[in-house]
Amino acid sequence: MKKTVDVSIPLGPMHPCWKEPVRLKCETAGERVLRAEVELGYMKKGIERIMRGRPWQEVMFLAERVCGICSVIHNMVFIETMETISDIAVPPRAAYLRVIANELDRVASHILANFSYCYTIEHETLAMYLLNTREIVLDNLERLTGSRINTAYMIPGGVRFDLLPEDATAMLADLAKVEAEMRRHTRIFETGPLIALRSKGVGVMSREEAIRAHTVGPTARASGVEDCDLRLRHPTYRELGFTQVTRTEGDNFARIMVRFQEIFQSIDLIRKCIDRLPDGPIRGGGLCKAGETSYAGEAPRGELTYSIKTDEYGRVLDIAIRTPSVMNIEACAHSMITDATSIADVTSTFISSDPCIACNER
Amino acid sequence: MNYLYEKDLRQMKYTILTSTRHDETVHAIARRLGTGDAKLRMVLIRRFDMSLLENLESRWQMGQEHADNGDPVAEGIGYELFTRFIPLVDPEVMQTIYNKMQAMIQEGSAIDEALARGKALVREAVLS
Repeated sequence: MKKTVDVSIPLGPMHPCWKEPVRLKCETAGERVLRAEVELGYMKKGIERIMRGRPWQEVMFLAERVCGICSVIHNMVFIETMETISDIAVPPRAAYLRVIANELDRVASHILANFSYCYTIEHETLAMYLLNTREIVLDNLERLTGSRINTAYMIPGGVRFDLLPEDATAMLADLAKVEAEMRRHTRIFETGPLIALRSKGVGVMSREEAIRAHTVGPTARASGVEDCDLRLRHPTYRELGFTQVTRTEGDNFARIMVRFQEIFQSIDLIRKCIDRLPDGPIRGGGLCKAGETSYAGEAPRGELTYSIKTDEYGRVLDIAIRTPSVMNIEACAHSMITDATSIADVTSTFISSDPCIACNER
Repeated sequence: MNYLYEKDLRQMKYTILTSTRHDETVHAIARRLGTGDAKLRMVLIRRFDMSLLENLESRWQMGQEHADNGDPVAEGIGYELFTRFIPLVDPEVMQTIYNKMQAMIQEGSAIDEALARGKALVREAVLS
């Protein structure tokens, strides 16, 4: 008879499936995972401490360096927090351009997350297809903002560059290509029998568990948490008629499918923005003032909150950033991975929650 | 057995707990439990892993919103709050405390008196 022993299995900090260093300590009984612990501290930047005492013009560039994958939303939430503090209005054209940049960033982030998952479950073909498609999205982000990753596109009272008509036409053509390719990739994922074996019913997190850990973003929406997408409350998104994507399975498959569905939704939003793009200036101007507030926006991974206190010169006196990965990684370790029936599912389940260690450690 | 890659995480855990928002949360939990911030920090560092410490603020907020709705006795001792949202007390221990309180109330004790006793038992369970 096979002997079963209790073993502590450390995964990481360096692991072929992790993009960033993190250590997962799994206590197992045979193949069953009894509990998991997360060890951080391998890439702490101390970015909040670096930001303190600096003028907003410097902090703006630091904010998007919290995370390289969703840098646009860090820029957007920081700037919108400063605008809330200083009562600065944004011209309608700039507000629409912000949505375009943000949604391009979301598409790029979701494709990368799904690439990581496919790579982890050893479906390298689909993983490479996805990365190839992501390049087109990043090219369009560069077309709009002049940069692929750290764009620094948004400034208080507007954006830095306009979208020229010929660029808008080229972007629409590229989006049609991305949409067609993503439909094919989604079909491969949805109908693949081996993908289903590794994904359906694996890493299940119930709605109650998701709420308890304050899970956010696609991870929460895949577990059936309604009304958790902050775009529902954003004035520009409301004008565009945004509705939230929700699934109820709560497993790895649902989390990946939510991201696929949101990619199509983002493409539609960009099309609507280009179609309805109002005429007018892209910068309204304004002066950053003293104040204190908390403001949240919907990042690709979920709710991103900036709590900022400024002085009369617009210097950041205090700042606290709550990134979505703080909640999602914790929920993943203590809800999805705990009681997993196979240690082989730990890596795929962890990646399905789209963990960003750079965000978590800041 | 001590492995080479096992690190002492206490300093890093302490750094997480003393950031602006976490400090406020620790203070709020300590006030609710009727204990000191430093004592609570020590317990949190000993029992929770780094991700749970990072997520302490969000869990506390969700606990305030969703835990123990409707039952004044459970709400008073933080039945769900300290077992499911901030898992500081073992569920079986909390159930025993809850049963003791219910028994006290049925025997004729005032709710305030039972709550005071229950809170003391919860504090004891957290700090043990």
